[in-house]
Amino acid sequence: MSDVFGISISALQAFQTALQVTSNNIANANTPGYDKESIELTSAIPQSAGSAPIGAGVNVAGISRAYSQLSANQLNISQSNLGQLNSLQNYTSQIDNIVGTTAGGLSTAIQNYYSAWSTVSNDPTSTAARQALLSAAQSVSAAFSSTNGQLQGLNSNINSAVAADVTQINSLSTSISALNQQIIVGTADGGGQPPNDLIDQRDQLVSNLSKLVGITTTAGSNGAVNIFVGNGQPLVLGNVTSALTTIPNQFNATQLEVSIASNGANPISSQITSGDLGGLLAARTQAVDPAINQLGQIATALSQTANAQQNSGLDLNGQLGANLFSVGGPQAVSSASNTDGTSATVSIANVGALTTNDYVLRYQGGAYSLTNASDGSAVAFTGSGTALSPISAAGLSIVLSGTPASGDQFLIKPTAQAAATFSVALTSTSQLAAAGAIQTTAANSNAGNATISSGTVITASNPALLNPVNIQFTSATTYTINGGASQPYTSGSNIAQNGWQVQISGTPVAGDTFTVQSNAGGTGDNRNALASANQQTLGVLSNGTVSVNGAVGALITGIGSQAQQVNTAQTAQTAVNSQALQNVQSVSGVNLDEEAANLLQWQQAYQASAQALSIANSTFTFFMDSINGTYS
Amino acid sequence: MRVTQGLNQTQFITALDSLESSLSQTQNQVSSGLAFTTPSQNPIAAGTVSNYDQVLAQSKQYTANGNSAQTGLQTEDTALTQVQNQLQSLRSLALEANSGTQTGEDLSAIAAQATQIQNTLLTVANTQDGNGQYIFSGFATQTQPFSLTATGAAYAGDQGQQHVQIAAGQTVAAGDNGDVVFNQIKTGNGVFTAAANAGNTGSGVIGATTVSGAAGYTGGTFSINFTAANTYNVENAASVVVGTGTYTPGQTITYGGAQIALSGQPAVGDSFDVAASGNQSLFTTVQNLVTALQAGANSASSKPALNNAIAGALNNIDQAISQTSTVQANVGGRLNTITTQQSQATSQQTQLQQSISSLQSLDYASAITSLDSQNTTLSAAMQAYTLTQGLTLFKYIQ
Repeated sequence: MSDVFGISISALQAFQTALQVTSNNIANANTPGYDKESIELTSAIPQSAGSAPIGAGVNVAGISRAYSQLSANQLNISQSNLGQLNSLQNYTSQIDNIVGTTAGGLSTAIQNYYSAWSTVSNDPTSTAARQALLSAAQSVSAAFSSTNGQLQGLNSNINSAVAADVTQINSLSTSISALNQQIIVGTADGGGQPPNDLIDQRDQLVSNLSKLVGITTTAGSNGAVNIFVGNGQPLVLGNVTSALTTIPNQFNATQLEVSIASNGANPISSQITSGDLGGLLAARTQAVDPAINQLGQIATALSQTANAQQNSGLDLNGQLGANLFSVGGPQAVSSASNTDGTSATVSIANVGALTTNDYVLRYQGGAYSLTNASDGSAVAFTGSGTALSPISAAGLSIVLSGTPASGDQFLIKPTAQAAATFSVALTSTSQLAAAGAIQTTAANSNAGNATISSGTVITASNPALLNPVNIQFTSATTYTINGGASQPYTSGSNIAQNGWQVQISGTPVAGDTFTVQSNAGGTGDNRNALASANQQTLGVLSNGTVSVNGAVGALITGIGSQAQQVNTAQTAQTAVNSQALQNVQSVSGVNLDEEAANLLQWQQAYQASAQALSIANSTFTFFMDSINGTYS
Repeated sequence: MRVTQGLNQTQFITALDSLESSLSQTQNQVSSGLAFTTPSQNPIAAGTVSNYDQVLAQSKQYTANGNSAQTGLQTEDTALTQVQNQLQSLRSLALEANSGTQTGEDLSAIAAQATQIQNTLLTVANTQDGNGQYIFSGFATQTQPFSLTATGAAYAGDQGQQHVQIAAGQTVAAGDNGDVVFNQIKTGNGVFTAAANAGNTGSGVIGATTVSGAAGYTGGTFSINFTAANTYNVENAASVVVGTGTYTPGQTITYGGAQIALSGQPAVGDSFDVAASGNQSLFTTVQNLVTALQAGANSASSKPALNNAIAGALNNIDQAISQTSTVQANVGGRLNTITTQQSQATSQQTQLQQSISSLQSLDYASAITSLDSQNTTLSAAMQAYTLTQGLTLFKYIQ
């Protein structure tokens, strides 16, 4: 009879535990990271082996959690990718908005600037038209600086976000290693029974960590987990944490990079390609910096062409035009780890060959190498870095102050600061050079029918540009310049002198004289204004194939395409992530209907066991009463 | 597949987010009337619209430039018409003075009228446009181009010519400088000029001069000298006699492609000088005429000299009329070019506006349709959620 008591009691205990497990499942139905638990029952082995052995009840063998390592890993990877795209998308969509609104303003401002030149060309002496032009130029400058300012703002947001991510990653790592320790101890104390709730908690933290940074995990001893980032740098090894830290970029102290604290000098930013942190770093190198460079390229092209035209014309005071725009040129930044003081100077040799890339110049083993800073690909160059033989590549000319120490590096940024520093250099309307620098005159006494073109300036820097020059014909086929050597004349061919060029066409007669001289006083001349207005469609960038206008359009299309591409990738990854979550949930999630059925199942089993106990009890009482004769 | 209530919840919320975001985007489109509000919604169209906008703005600027050039050219056209009118009056005055019946007082009166014409011409040559810029001073638009001198007028402008951009790659001259209009006027018949020597004493008067022969005028500078009343020789610039001939009054003397009609009877020793045409200022021509008229008024005996001077002046006035007509014809041509260009620009602008509109403007029919269908999807999703939320086994456990 005692067997029935023992069996029933073991069943009562087991079903009570089962009810507890089910209640616990229901209680944690909405707990993130909770894995559905189930009771494992085994039948107790009978102690005495009779002719027909009868079971001895039920034992709780353990409580297991529903968990698939494969699904969990897939979810972590998918969360890392989604985290990366989410934070990247956050920035590309902001750039998209900036470009959609303020760069739209930039495009209008540039349009108005060129139109203002056209208006000046219609009435070159009008102060009102000139003032409108200066204002239009100011608007261009404001549009550049506001667009650039907003982009720079994104970069400082990225810096704070990187620092915040690193703090959070470190805090998660510390918690994970602490949980690892408890799991190791708990597993040992539990006689091999895993402490499910600790593991659930730990795995949830690992899952949260995977949203922040792409990780790989391996199983450690006694239920611990080891976590690695980048190319296998350990973050958590059992109960030991290796913290991440932020360090300043070697070329730019205001830009934060990520490194392992124990190996601080070596940034691992380039290895972190997923998770929120990966997205932030990608946003900086793939979206914000290229946009700033592209904007700078447009600013550089606009100012260079405008200034060159301005320099080859005369202002209202009869002076050669001064620069209309001032813009910061290319920069060469020495690495903070350079071991000697050699500096590099960069200048623009050919604005048409400028790219939107940054470059790294490295001196190693007695030779220079030039690489694209974004992808590390080698860039061909000529020259040896001296003033006589500058390093020439990508429209740039690089001169070093000496021979750098081996291993020294310089970051070459061709257009990064151009948009930020773009400003209007002129203050007075009379300084706008609307007139051509030279004017030509055919003497009224000329007997021949030869005519002279109005002349163009080829080299504005020629000091003799504005000196008066007489071209005198000594016969129909020869002429002298300022009484110099006789030169052969061909109708319509170029005659160049003092940095200018004219054409004389027709048939001159000996004694015919043409004069080329300064156009000072020619305030009604609009040739330079016309040329300035025509720069709107003049091919400048990409080796003279893309106009300033075209570059603005290309900027808008490029930014829009990138944002669109990231949006699409994010949508796709959201679906992938939802699928991965579904896979995990279908294994580990708590289904309340299931639990309701389980509740009923265990309740009924408990009730039956209790009934068995009751029957055993009444049977036993009946038996005792029969013996005592109280049964009647 | 095993589904849990938690997953259902998460998926519903995700779906709700995405549905509401598309709904809000469509709603934005409908309320703004724009097919895209950020470049990412249609990167190619956004870039293209930016480029079209630039082309459109440029085209409108070209139209404005054309209007400005039109105003300038019309001012010039009016001025040139005035010059022609003055020259025609001057021509009539010269013919009147040449008629032979004029007394000294008459000639004085005519000279005074010619001086008046000279002053009017000066005023016209110093015409300023609406902005106070001199239209005939080349680039030096702030410098008064002409001022009278004893022999004509001095020119303070230059030979610059303003051009205006009226289309991509097309400019049109917005004016002409004073040298071209007033100073670079050929003398004589435009090829050569013949003048009586100042010391002539006979009554020989030069008539019409023409160029003959296929080779044209080859004579260079030469003079016709009367060695007797009816014989002359031709001397070249080096005073070498290169030809001789006999003369009867009214005869045309031909040398080196130049045909010179001569009337009257030159005295022995009289000569007539022939040279290739050069440039002479209109003001010099008028001044010379005035001077000759005044000299004629003071001495009745110098009639042939007056006649010769008037004949020369008439030639020069005709050249000036022809020169200003040519310039005026050019101005008319430019005005036509601008008009043609502007009508092309107008149709280009319409075209561009249509293109921009087709890229940028919302197709309301399809936007409203998708708004409707997104709305339906969203409310269906909500309905489905509420329905499935009611389904739980616990409801039936009593």
